[in-house]
Amino acid sequence: MTSRLDPVREWILARHPELDDLDSHLDLIENRLIDSLTFIEFVFLIEQHSGESIPMDTIQVDDFRTLNSIGKRYFQLTD
Amino acid sequence: MSAVDSAVTDRFIEILDRLGEKSIEDYYNPYQMFVWPDELPEDMFWMSQDLVSAHGTDLAEELGPSGMRSLSKWESINFYSLNVHGIRELLTEVISRIHMPGFEVPSDFFHHFIGEENEHMWFFAEFCRRYGKKIYQSGAPKLSRVEDTDVENFLVFARILLFEEMVDHYNLAMSEDESLHETIRQVNRIHHQDESRHIAFGRELVSLLYGTLRDRLDEARLREIEGYLKRYLVYSIQSFYNPYVYRDAGIADSLGFRGRLLADERRRPFERRAVRKPLSFLVRTGIFADDVLPTV
Repeated sequence: MTSRLDPVREWILARHPELDDLDSHLDLIENRLIDSLTFIEFVFLIEQHSGESIPMDTIQVDDFRTLNSIGKRYFQLTD
Repeated sequence: MSAVDSAVTDRFIEILDRLGEKSIEDYYNPYQMFVWPDELPEDMFWMSQDLVSAHGTDLAEELGPSGMRSLSKWESINFYSLNVHGIRELLTEVISRIHMPGFEVPSDFFHHFIGEENEHMWFFAEFCRRYGKKIYQSGAPKLSRVEDTDVENFLVFARILLFEEMVDHYNLAMSEDESLHETIRQVNRIHHQDESRHIAFGRELVSLLYGTLRDRLDEARLREIEGYLKRYLVYSIQSFYNPYVYRDAGIADSLGFRGRLLADERRRPFERRAVRKPLSFLVRTGIFADDVLPTV
């Protein structure tokens, strides 16, 4: 089943070829799949695919921790 | 912990003394130094044309001369905003090390460095607020710490050096560009003059700190450090392609515009020019095995 989050999932997997798949509850920051150097590109990607404008001064890092939290906050998805 | 003190050489101390003396000789009052006109002309470029992020691409043609002039205005505000945030972050790092164990030897120079950087941050912020009525926000939060203190010390000063070297590429070009307004040239000229001391210091310090890592770490870890710094360079290059800037310049699909520029191979030579000097330093010192940067 396809999801609007697929481009986000694929973006992370493309940068981490050691992974086969991504659990939607995996902490992307704790597991260093997203770090300070990739965070902004990641935010731009989510903005592009969700269509929601994300002003820098409103960013809460916790919203970007898991695919699940990103889906809820920016793609209006439920669990 | 080795930090700096246990690794210093006579050469390092000599250079520190010389740079410290030069800081005292060249000292100026930035609050009296600048001539700030009420406004800068909108019908001029605010950045050298070949430094504008769309330069050399079809998108520059699409924007036309007036669109490129508008883009140059907002990109100059972005450039000075990047300086404000870069300086804020580097000051935090240097202040947390000054007069701490392992950093006594460079602490005297750190005082000059902190003072000068604080003044640079002021005049860059002043430019942004006067002529752009804003400072663009920095978006990169600090998400993780490096466990090894020596590696962290090295990465902090390597990032500071790379940031200063890239900025200096822009400063030097704009200070020499006679087509720019004198206030823009002056800001860039003065920053370039001070930064030449900071870059000289940074290169010595980074070489010294890397020496201690090379003696202690295995090749795989050293290549990991190389990989991180290369990603930092790419990240820094990408920060010049700011979608908020494109929005302010009246470009409708700002993220699409950014994506097209990042994908355009004609941009690569301009990007390489901005990082040519630090790349060559990093290869020469053996910190980098080659000068190949990762693709986005």
